[in-house]
Amino acid sequence: MNMQLHKENTMLKTKSPDITASAIDEGHPTTSMPFGNALIELGRTRPEIVGMSADLAKYTDIHIFAEAYPDRFYQMGMSEQLMATAAGGLSKEGFIPFATTYATFASRRCYDFMSQAVAEQDANVKLIGGLPGLTTGYGPSHQATDDIAIFRAMPNLTIIDPCDAYEIEQLVPALADHHGPVYSRILRGNVARVLDQYDYRFEIGKAALLRGGSDVLIISTGFMTMRALDSAKELKSDGIDVAVLHVPTIKPLDELAILREARRTGRLVVTAENHSSIGGLGEAVSSTLAMNGVCPELRRIALPDRFLDAGTLPVLQHRYGITREAMTENIRRWL
Amino acid sequence: MNEITNLHNSSLKDHARRVRHNALVMAETQGQGYIAQALGVADVLTVTYFHAMNHRPDQPSWEDRDRFLLSPGHYGIAHYSVLVAAGYLPEEELITYAADDSRLPMSGMTSYTPGAEMSGGSIGLGLPMAVGMGLGLKRKKSKSFIYTLMGDGELAEGPTWEAAISAASYQLDNIIAVVDFNQVQADGPSTKVMNTEPVVAKFEAFGFYVQRIDGNDMSALVAAFDRAREHPEPQPRIIICDTKMGCGVDFLEGREKSHFIRLQPDDWKRAYQALEASSVQ
Repeated sequence: MNMQLHKENTMLKTKSPDITASAIDEGHPTTSMPFGNALIELGRTRPEIVGMSADLAKYTDIHIFAEAYPDRFYQMGMSEQLMATAAGGLSKEGFIPFATTYATFASRRCYDFMSQAVAEQDANVKLIGGLPGLTTGYGPSHQATDDIAIFRAMPNLTIIDPCDAYEIEQLVPALADHHGPVYSRILRGNVARVLDQYDYRFEIGKAALLRGGSDVLIISTGFMTMRALDSAKELKSDGIDVAVLHVPTIKPLDELAILREARRTGRLVVTAENHSSIGGLGEAVSSTLAMNGVCPELRRIALPDRFLDAGTLPVLQHRYGITREAMTENIRRWL
Repeated sequence: MNEITNLHNSSLKDHARRVRHNALVMAETQGQGYIAQALGVADVLTVTYFHAMNHRPDQPSWEDRDRFLLSPGHYGIAHYSVLVAAGYLPEEELITYAADDSRLPMSGMTSYTPGAEMSGGSIGLGLPMAVGMGLGLKRKKSKSFIYTLMGDGELAEGPTWEAAISAASYQLDNIIAVVDFNQVQADGPSTKVMNTEPVVAKFEAFGFYVQRIDGNDMSALVAAFDRAREHPEPQPRIIICDTKMGCGVDFLEGREKSHFIRLQPDDWKRAYQALEASSVQ
């Protein structure tokens, strides 16, 4: 491990250390702070929208909403449990709180409060988790590898993992239009812009086939869809034809679209997610296929069931197999 | 319109007796329950609903109502007793308490019961919820208060103190927290399970306007709720109410292990008789 680490670090010597960042792969334009800007835009016409954060406004891009509407933003301090419950209270008075923190704290800290003060009471709260999955090198305290697994068993909660800036811009107004509790991951800072090239519209609960292909079907969520699309282009030059089904809503899962695509015989099905192999998209898809008697050859790209290392992101994402390069390499090997 | 305000103490005592009677009816249907808490907190709830709160039982969602939050869900029996007495629910429903498909579940939840503003039960939600509603009411420029009933064991929950910090920081003078300090929680005497004293000094240090009173003294309750509403400073308010578990039924008062009581069938008649004879009338 140490030798491998040394070798990889040497390789990256020319780059500045990349400890925390949104996933921006080469070749994609970026948009700055899509979540914060979309919330500001929505706030212009929706006075019931309010913002909250537990001392992570600057790091979840909601600080620009706070600057635009200072009297509509509630700083709750480092009190995530309070924030989730108070968001439930604001919802009872007719407001739509967008409450932000890191995905780790949103899930691990807020669970009971999201369950009993929000989901059970059908509060119209949008809990927003920054730094999803492996998007920080800080180590397990900040790496939200289990947030989706934690939340999936919660009744009455919608769960979303968006791919890029284009999707985040669309999901913010969609969340406000949807009555009910939502947990959504977001990407912050300069966020890649990919899906505008694919005639894509975000809709809660809907998967979208972004490209067809006869050899492989990648079922992906979050920024892994960006990598699936890039990997598909790469594999095309090898003569491997890859389809990509993007599944931004993890719950409720678009089982019809997944079954429709997986039933097409002769394709390797690969699930891809920026999350633990336990309890995320891969297991949800596997379960849906098995329960419906659909049994294609199936592989999973996900983070391992362990506390991940600290370090720099490019190294860590490669180590744990969620880079485009790792995806392409694995698919070649599996065929 | 059925706005209930400012009844005299004698009539408050009549209401409190009715509240206790309702609690006995519900407990009897189950043969067991959180009856000692219901009897102990009956005076507090009577003053809350028949003196302090501005509300309309026939319009539970009236926008200008004062809000009431029940944080310890197992106090549902106490809350339903006063909701029936105030006219939110018909008396006939008392015997459905904790039965299948009843609107009166053992642990209070908002979707089940008219007048139940929140689901409690996971202890420590009350004050944080009040903070959110307090912020919301301020945003709406509402004059309504939020009365939040908490148990004494709840003072060991971290979110209670997170909420206390923020209630003072946001100057939420629309929150009137009420603690039923009955000295009993699931594993034993509250201050022995975890000593939360000195409670008054703690809440004062956290920025609250604090009062500590005998929660079974009707006059003291009326005065404390009046002072809490009229306090001129922009700070949250809390009333620590020292109450007696089982108050009003002599053979239940001071009984050990009173968190969850089972009674024999013959004891219920004794309980009604004891309530009739009680000095709390």
